[in-house]
Amino acid sequence: MSKLEEIASAVERGKAKLVPGLVEEALDEGIDPVEILNKGMIDAMSVVGEKFKNNEIFVPEMLVAARAMKKGVEVLKPSLGGDADVSIGKAVIGTVQGDLHDIGKNLVCLMVESAGFEVLDLGVDVPAERFVEAAQDPAVKIVGVSALLTTTMPAMKATVEALNAAPNRADFKVMVGGAPITQEFAEEIGADAYTADAATCASVAKKFVAG
Amino acid sequence: MERIPFRKEELKVAGQTINLGRGAYPLFSTPISPRENYLMFLRGEEPLWMPLARDTLSVTPAIVKDNIARGFVFDMTGFDPNKDGGGPDMFGVEWEWVPQVRGSMVRPGNPKVPDITEWEDYIEFPDPDSWDWAASAEKNRALIEQKDLLLGATILNGLFERLISFVEMSEALVAMIDEDEQEAVHRLFDRLADFYPKIIRKYKEYYHIDILTFHDDWGSQRAPFFSLDTVREMLVPYLKRIVDAAHDLGIYFELHSCGKNEMLVPAMIEAGVDMWNGQPMNDKKMLVEKYGDKMIFGAYPITIDSSSTEEEVREACREFIDTFNSYRVYGGFASTMMAAPGVRESLYEFSRIAKCGRAE
Repeated sequence: MSKLEEIASAVERGKAKLVPGLVEEALDEGIDPVEILNKGMIDAMSVVGEKFKNNEIFVPEMLVAARAMKKGVEVLKPSLGGDADVSIGKAVIGTVQGDLHDIGKNLVCLMVESAGFEVLDLGVDVPAERFVEAAQDPAVKIVGVSALLTTTMPAMKATVEALNAAPNRADFKVMVGGAPITQEFAEEIGADAYTADAATCASVAKKFVAG
Repeated sequence: MERIPFRKEELKVAGQTINLGRGAYPLFSTPISPRENYLMFLRGEEPLWMPLARDTLSVTPAIVKDNIARGFVFDMTGFDPNKDGGGPDMFGVEWEWVPQVRGSMVRPGNPKVPDITEWEDYIEFPDPDSWDWAASAEKNRALIEQKDLLLGATILNGLFERLISFVEMSEALVAMIDEDEQEAVHRLFDRLADFYPKIIRKYKEYYHIDILTFHDDWGSQRAPFFSLDTVREMLVPYLKRIVDAAHDLGIYFELHSCGKNEMLVPAMIEAGVDMWNGQPMNDKKMLVEKYGDKMIFGAYPITIDSSSTEEEVREACREFIDTFNSYRVYGGFASTMMAAPGVRESLYEFSRIAKCGRAE
């Protein structure tokens, strides 16, 4: 097994204690840090996302894999020459006003971050204006809006409407998700995409950025 | 028990139930009481009709602080969640009542237990012996003395939900599989498995309940939160002790566990759970065919909503009873019984006829 495969395997299995050491070893062997990030970690997280979608693994396994990757990135960062070199864009993610649920939003943050984005987590109970304000940053490519409740779907609608009215709307994509949300609802309120789970959200966000 | 055939007169209103805060509703002129019928069903005998969610009165009294914190007090004290909901639960975790959701949540960002491996430093277990159960029961005397309906009690925040309330959701999920944290979770669940039976015993002594509903959500809309192996390792041993404690007191055990959890049913059976009222995204037909001899399942006609016509309601109920009458199924979720007029009446009528025939 190559060093990159070892890293990928450790990330997939959520071995947060092993990954930093393996990354150090890979760097010592002279492997390109960008390759370590892409092949050793981001690709591994894509595998994790696929397995999650297929119910081969569940939320905890996905969380520990993301945590393991984070530990590896911490070791890798100094060799990557700063955030700007590795980030494929900035994603702003939050749960709408009136809704305190954070697990779906947290999973999306983890998976989107693991896909190579810089993530600004706005938290829960976020007013529409806060989303719009955060989306003013020219680095923002994705705005993710989460709602878990049927009763907070109107707040999601109001948030997306406010984002759609932003002068720099062409610069970012609006993605929505949450238990009661459907493709039809996403289209009705003018979002660019709806995804049913965090892993799909990350892969669709990547496609958006790739153009 | 004589198989008394159905007569249309049975649908005449014979009285009203006690109002536990969700409103009173009519009692039909049934040949035996709904409680008697339900107990036959739970004992494994053939009931005269399919028991329905509305054949149970489930109490969540204000004496248990969880019920106030969650805004989920259903007893005879006239609790108003908009006025009194939220606040600390019995472990001191602060809940926030959200009126538009009609439920409470712990606001994320400031967990009661910052590190699960050190939970003993932050958590003090309550002492149910120090609560005034006699006064609580006195306030609910009419409820306890009624014999028309099955009497149940609900324990909110089971095992996994309690863990979430202490450390927040993401941390709770990780702690279920992280080998550095699992030991602490085992210690917590072990204590909870000693603690919950204390409350169950109080419910038996003071409320004389027939059934206990244990609230522990294990899944999301699309899948369980964790694998069957994780549930077997982390939850089943402790859940079984709680179930056994209820059974030792002659109390039936219902698991309330939201989410698409059908793949976790083997774990429920291993824990000794008598019945599970899963949400509609679970394949009830598959479940009753595969596990119907080992556990009771709650199900209901899912096509009915507030826009359904009288004819649509009757057709949906007829089809539902045709599908599930031969299995150990009860008509779950009281809210479904209220989704449109006539649901309860139709389910009663069609299941009575299916089980006992119609009088000439």
